Amino acid sequence: MQRQSDAYTLLFAVIICVICSFTVTLCAEGLRSRQEQNVSLDKKKNILKAAHVQSQSWQNMPPAELLDFFDQKIGVVVLNPKGDFVNGIKPEDIKDGEQLYPLYVYKEQGAIMAYCLPIQGKGLWSTLKGYLAIDADAKTIRGITFYAHKETPGLGAEIEKEWFQNNFTGKSIWDDKEQVLRPPKLVKAVVKKRMKPQDEPYYVDSITGATMTSQGVSDVLDKELNKYEPFLKKVRK
Amino acid sequence: MKKLFSKKEKRIVKEGFWENNPVSFHVLGICSALAVTVKVETAMVMCAALIFVVSLSNVIISSIRTFIPNKIRIIVQLCIISTLVVVADQVLKAFVYDVSKQLSIFVGLIITNCIVMGRAEAFAMTNPPWRSFLDGLGNGLGYSLFLISVAICRELLGNGTLLGFQVIPQVFYEMGYMNAGIMLIAPGAFFLLGVMVWIQRAITGYTEE
Repeated sequence: MQRQSDAYTLLFAVIICVICSFTVTLCAEGLRSRQEQNVSLDKKKNILKAAHVQSQSWQNMPPAELLDFFDQKIGVVVLNPKGDFVNGIKPEDIKDGEQLYPLYVYKEQGAIMAYCLPIQGKGLWSTLKGYLAIDADAKTIRGITFYAHKETPGLGAEIEKEWFQNNFTGKSIWDDKEQVLRPPKLVKAVVKKRMKPQDEPYYVDSITGATMTSQGVSDVLDKELNKYEPFLKKVRK
Repeated sequence: MKKLFSKKEKRIVKEGFWENNPVSFHVLGICSALAVTVKVETAMVMCAALIFVVSLSNVIISSIRTFIPNKIRIIVQLCIISTLVVVADQVLKAFVYDVSKQLSIFVGLIITNCIVMGRAEAFAMTNPPWRSFLDGLGNGLGYSLFLISVAICRELLGNGTLLGFQVIPQVFYEMGYMNAGIMLIAPGAFFLLGVMVWIQRAITGYTEE
């Protein structure tokens, strides 16, 4: 076959494509179980981080030890839309679209320290996934993390940075008479300077240059807290 | 063995690393040099990934260079490069998950890194596999030289740490020393990179005509 002929070119292209796709598939399939382990470990780390678990020692633990630590501190339950516990179901078993919500309860020596809920919703480029931890009195936010997103590095991706996440700690989720749910909103920075002290608990600094991502975070909080409202009302002190 | 490392071969590595350095001489790969150099650890992983991709893609392309139809050579090169990048990305996700999360899209962007395509087209298409490998290695190391130097300066000045260990003693902070926040944002990297290119060009005596 002639090197310059169209048939040769086509044949060559097909061979290259087959070899390349085979290599990629082999690699992705071969490493999948390891990657899934990493992802599940990373989620657990994020739950511990959002819940502000007192002991910091978990950050340097090897995976097996960390899983033990997680099981010691965090209890996993599933709620229905009325805020009641559903027995016999694990978060992994919940199917898409099913009205069941997982909840992670952080306990320290039997006493509940925080409730941690998975949060998920649209950012600018893709789905933001993370955890929101609420203090045991079910009134204030304890911590927030994002473990998966595809936002712009340096702008929207700042949601995974500590300076942004720390702003949420201590913010209120109920209105001042504690009747209605009022999830904090992300607004133009700096809340501390622009707002009256009594309004501060309801607003969080957004990220300059990442308006859409910040709006996404506001919407995520609103959506997810509403799902858990019946439960939070019950446990509120 | 001697034949594998004759004068000519050493020259090829040295050219990519120093005289013909892709970052300072050709000003390529700047995007990632700014993005992943806040910490030394991420910079090192990025460099390892790039060295892997550029040397292997050079070898593969060079070994099949006589068979590649000229009409579709660029797309064939790109196909091979992307395959290697995906492999590198998957391996990072499986073995150093935390670092790969920090590198986010930048590993994937090695595909469009001009150093890789440039070496494939300019060197591997006309040279035998071993020399192409050395050329890739040299260029990869040259890129790493800049990336890691920038990262060391940024982490040290911006955070007071190296590879995550506190280097600047606490006493200094108590005496009023402060971390330079500008080093952690992109402009800091721009300044550093500019200064480094300047120094490197001053040593090699290169001037733009």
